[in-house]
Amino acid sequence: MKVAFVTPRYGVEVMGGAESAARQLAEHLVAECGWEVEVFSTCALDHITWDNVLSPGDSVLNGVTVHRYASASGRVPEFYELDARLRMAPSEATLEQSRRWLELNGPVTPDLVDAVADSDAEVIAFYPYLYYPTVRGMEASSAPRVLHPAAHDEPALYLKVFDSTFADADAICYHTAAERRLVQRRHRVAQVPQIELGLGVSPVVSGGRSGGEILGIGDRPYVVSVGRVDEHKGSSMLAAFFRTYKKRHPGPLALALVGPRAAAITDDEDIVLTGTVSEADKCDIVRDAMVSISPSALESFSLVVLEAWEQSVPVVVNATCDPTREHCERSGGGLWFGSYREFEAVLERLCADARLRALLAARGHAYVQRYYQWPHLIRRYAVFLTTVRRRYDAARA
Amino acid sequence: MVTDDPGPSDVRRSGDDGDAGDDEARRYLDEVRRDIDEEVRRRRASGDLPPNVERELDQLFLAHSPLGGRGAALRDMLRLVDASVFIDPVVPVESRRPGGTTVKRGLRSLNLWYLRYVTHQVSEFATAVSRALHVLDAQMTDIRRKVDALAVPPSPVVEVGWAHNPDAWWVEGVTTTLAAQSGRVLHAACGDGWLVGALVARGVDAYGVDPRPPVPSAGLDLLDLRVEDVGPHIAAVASGSLRAVVLSGVVEGSGFVERNNLLHGAVRGLAPDGVLFVHSLTPASWAADDAPVEADMAGARPYRARTWLRVMGDLGIDATVTEGTDGRDYLVTGRLRATR
Repeated sequence: MKVAFVTPRYGVEVMGGAESAARQLAEHLVAECGWEVEVFSTCALDHITWDNVLSPGDSVLNGVTVHRYASASGRVPEFYELDARLRMAPSEATLEQSRRWLELNGPVTPDLVDAVADSDAEVIAFYPYLYYPTVRGMEASSAPRVLHPAAHDEPALYLKVFDSTFADADAICYHTAAERRLVQRRHRVAQVPQIELGLGVSPVVSGGRSGGEILGIGDRPYVVSVGRVDEHKGSSMLAAFFRTYKKRHPGPLALALVGPRAAAITDDEDIVLTGTVSEADKCDIVRDAMVSISPSALESFSLVVLEAWEQSVPVVVNATCDPTREHCERSGGGLWFGSYREFEAVLERLCADARLRALLAARGHAYVQRYYQWPHLIRRYAVFLTTVRRRYDAARA
Repeated sequence: MVTDDPGPSDVRRSGDDGDAGDDEARRYLDEVRRDIDEEVRRRRASGDLPPNVERELDQLFLAHSPLGGRGAALRDMLRLVDASVFIDPVVPVESRRPGGTTVKRGLRSLNLWYLRYVTHQVSEFATAVSRALHVLDAQMTDIRRKVDALAVPPSPVVEVGWAHNPDAWWVEGVTTTLAAQSGRVLHAACGDGWLVGALVARGVDAYGVDPRPPVPSAGLDLLDLRVEDVGPHIAAVASGSLRAVVLSGVVEGSGFVERNNLLHGAVRGLAPDGVLFVHSLTPASWAADDAPVEADMAGARPYRARTWLRVMGDLGIDATVTEGTDGRDYLVTGRLRATR
């Protein structure tokens, strides 16, 4: 079986997000199924500018053949003006306006689309729905198309330019049931063959140091939030909540924000910003945390929640984020907050109640062990892709 | 597509995912949530956090939350409205530039009489709107309480062993009809996939939906079976995208509106010349001593067979009825008129 992935960014430098998920699926298909996998992507690493920083051409990364194409244009300044206008009532935007939005959002990659059209892959997976390579690539593809939407409840989901993207998919792969419900509220695609898959958790690596040592806070207890430190990811809100919490609950508790910094948050004696850290340091920091917090309201899966559970750390998530809250409700491995008041009450309870922390951690860990281990997931995915291709062939026979 | 070990979406509804210890843990966690909610209510009532601080923090939270986020209550939103109704005319005068504070203070003094006049009116207006919204909230809460008391719960899937299995009298006709056609076929409620499996074995592109958890079953790895409520699923099916819809175990106990929505949704989803099969127990079977217990709990009783002919006819479907030999059930076969 030969499978192709189309994704706007690809590489070990791309941390988190849909593109990272695409890489994991691609590499596990090679490693565990022995399939031939190729990727069509751009030369960009930055999802804001889409600047061409990597060399175009072909390369091999962990057994996956990567074809990179330079973008004709990235995100341009006019995008923000149009986006601000359309996001007020996105479903009212005309098709022309939303097509314009797609082009201005970038990366515009006609060469990539041509290559997708010429691909001899038996199935092509597009990941995520939001960008030019997926929208135009799906239009050009002659192979069966599997859409991985990685959709959030965001204004873009309601733009008309994506109607055909969802309608034309030969199959859909969702991260969670919450994502499926969200998409099916917006697009009538329930009859399309689909799977709710998610992602697997990689084995924990450890550098052998304590989290407090890495953070420079010694033996102080701390809570952690892993991921890009970004206002849109709720990091600024979390920092403000935590500062207020500390004013009202003086003590040694600290907050560690672990990930690349994209928001202007100042560190102080209670908040440590690490910037990008090694995988081993990240694992060590998470392992020793009392609680892992996911403040983001816009997640379609959230691997960091599962990674915390993998290390038996309880989690707290944003109550308005359906996928992460769904993880917590189903597993019984976490709590959630929908306001500062709830954040305070949840954190206070967790810090004071070791039995509760242990229970949440054990349940979260069991959930990850049962559903989010790669061998199990990749087998389901391989069966799904095989069935998609078989169905496609039957329809053409 | 569901493989031998389904995804986590099947856990929530199962109720049998764990053991007694699991139930105990779930109860404890529910109790923790209630404690936290109660603590939040108590502290909010005590006013131990300055309103302007709470408002700023809540606004920070809402800034990147989906509109009307999950579980959002009008009352919570009103709290933010209440905190925002006062428009402060006394603007801040801090400045990083030399003399800036003095200049700003002077401008503020010069304009304050005007700003105070304007902001007073805006605040009055906002207060009036807030009061109106509180009245609306009170009325909505009251209506919701009354509606909840009257609401009929969603009809359960009714599964009876003698009618819902691959050897039941009506199944061969359905599979034979569908095996001769191409196109996507939906079976609801699909149970463990017994009909979907039979259809797929005959080359039909079939999938199934059932709100109940799947029963693990060998040999079902390749079937597309989903844990979803039937009504919302059919509402999310693209118009004209299905060759056939098979409804079994889902119409008997549903109320008039629910049954009507299901029927309209199924018809909308059918391609021209598409086929709708409805298998139902008869009213007599529903009232018999050996009827499934769902019969007692349902908000309605099954239609008589001829009633289906009437309602399908009204929707542009040519229908026929085949009755089971013992009068316990029947199959309605409807074909969408191409000129609908």
